[in-house]
Amino acid sequence: MHPILSHRRRLLVYLAAWLAFGLLLAGVIAVSGPAAFPWAAAFAAPLALLLGLMSLSCWYLVRLLPAGTTALPRMARTWLAAGVVDLAIWIALAHAWSWVLGLAQGAHSQLPAASMTPLLLFAGCIGLSVAVLGYYMLAAFQTSREAQQRALELRMAAREAEMQLLRRQIDPHFLFNSLNSVAALIGTDAAAARRMCFLLADFFRRSVKLGACQTIALADELALAGAFLAIEEVRFGARLRSRVDATAEAGAVGVPALILQPLVENAVHHGIAHLLEGGDITVAAATRDGLLDITVENACDPDRPPSRGTGTGLANVRGRLMALYGTQAVLDVDSRPGCFQVRMRLPAAPARETPCAS
Amino acid sequence: MRVLIVDDEPLARAFLAEQLGAMAGVEVIGEAANGFEAVKLAEGLAPDLLLLDVQMPRLSGLEVLELLGERAPQVVFVTAHDEFAVRAFEVHAVDYLLKPVEQARLAQAIERAAARLMAPRDRAGSAPTGIASLLAAPRSPDHPLQRVLIREAEHVHVLPVHRIDFIEAQDDYLSFAAGGRRHRKQQTLSQIESQLDRTRFVRIHRSFILNVERIVRIDPYAKDSWQVQLADGTRLPMSRTGYQRLKEVLD
Repeated sequence: MHPILSHRRRLLVYLAAWLAFGLLLAGVIAVSGPAAFPWAAAFAAPLALLLGLMSLSCWYLVRLLPAGTTALPRMARTWLAAGVVDLAIWIALAHAWSWVLGLAQGAHSQLPAASMTPLLLFAGCIGLSVAVLGYYMLAAFQTSREAQQRALELRMAAREAEMQLLRRQIDPHFLFNSLNSVAALIGTDAAAARRMCFLLADFFRRSVKLGACQTIALADELALAGAFLAIEEVRFGARLRSRVDATAEAGAVGVPALILQPLVENAVHHGIAHLLEGGDITVAAATRDGLLDITVENACDPDRPPSRGTGTGLANVRGRLMALYGTQAVLDVDSRPGCFQVRMRLPAAPARETPCAS
Repeated sequence: MRVLIVDDEPLARAFLAEQLGAMAGVEVIGEAANGFEAVKLAEGLAPDLLLLDVQMPRLSGLEVLELLGERAPQVVFVTAHDEFAVRAFEVHAVDYLLKPVEQARLAQAIERAAARLMAPRDRAGSAPTGIASLLAAPRSPDHPLQRVLIREAEHVHVLPVHRIDFIEAQDDYLSFAAGGRRHRKQQTLSQIESQLDRTRFVRIHRSFILNVERIVRIDPYAKDSWQVQLADGTRLPMSRTGYQRLKEVLD
């Protein structure tokens, strides 16, 4: 894509610069004597604009002969040839233009085009050279920006892969504590112990399956959160009360696998676990204006500053959203005394079947 | 042996109680669901042994020991986390059990505790020395003290460090000023200084540590001394070294 032709404003600035160049040239003509300034301006300004339009095509040569990788002799040859051709055409057109102007002005004060040829040649050389140098600078700038963008994308992809790997690992303390609950229940309530085993099996099966996927339906993610909360409710007893609310449309939306789970785990470990009397955790999801809106809210100890653990969990979720959706996704944290809320909004595209690694 | 079980999870308490019930010579005299209850019950019932969870809301197992101080009985930690083991042995815990707790392992811990109780008084009395280290041990800059525990008569006061305005040394006490109130605790200024966040709390004087967020203005007072004014109007003296320390933190 042409860096100037494809942008209206840049094209206007570019032509204005050439117009200024034309007026400068007119000034030189007026001072050196061949014509008065108004006539010199009428002669030089259109010619400068013409040279500007002609040199637009130099961009393609710049791309063809990139600086740094092109052999110097080849570069010199090509540019010399291009310059000679361009300037020859331009000077010929300048002669034609002075003849036309001469007709309009009346025969008694012809613009002496022939005497101005050396000056035109000199000005044309300068104008073209500056344009070509400018294009080379623009090309260098574009290349470095593209390289930066690519590096960023690569980093994001690597981060996403790493994050996914991390998410697939289950927190061992969750397992130890759950097993402790099962061991306790076996002595007092065998049926409840059995139920806990099924809950654990359900949670681990889901989590292994989801961890292998890129994108999943939110309903699957919510089912995992539900299984997790059900297990923690057994462990914490009356201290933990949880609710998961989602509309059917929200459940069908595709989300990055395990994007919600860290937030739900934070709500338990950094919220409810620090409250003597416990509290509520609410997970809610709905679609609004083409966006999926998910909130995770939990009670928390107002005297406890947010710990580092929450920070990394949140940062990971934020990083993944950033890598996958850029500015289209938003993550807001609302921390009031006694209540902690994370709100996530991302584009609501329906879940597609994506290949899951086994 | 009279045992007190401390765990915030009802199932975990029930599990320990069930296992201990099957052991001869062991009596569960109480269960505490959090650190506050634990302190109260430990003082009221004077058990021989605490089975103590580490991670609990508001007061951790280690903070329970800090509050009990010299009155702390023998302690066996019971937790799902293995990373507290080092600190547990620093406070001379009898044993460190990982959840889920196996019956044989629990029995072993009880035996060890019994052996310590039978041992001559000086060995049994080694626990308090270890607990004193909880108050004295410096903390790494990455994990500064988050809250200060203060006992006032029968009450335990948990003071989050961000509420502290300044700390003043008074004889062998510290006086914590927070929101116009004063709280006294037996500790030294150097000990608390080594545990607090150094980017937030600065020792501005031989007798004062200041929360830098409370500073409103600093005025020269005499040669080589300054006066700091706090948001609530309090004025504190600042020495030359204090001034330099404060400058380092603020720059």
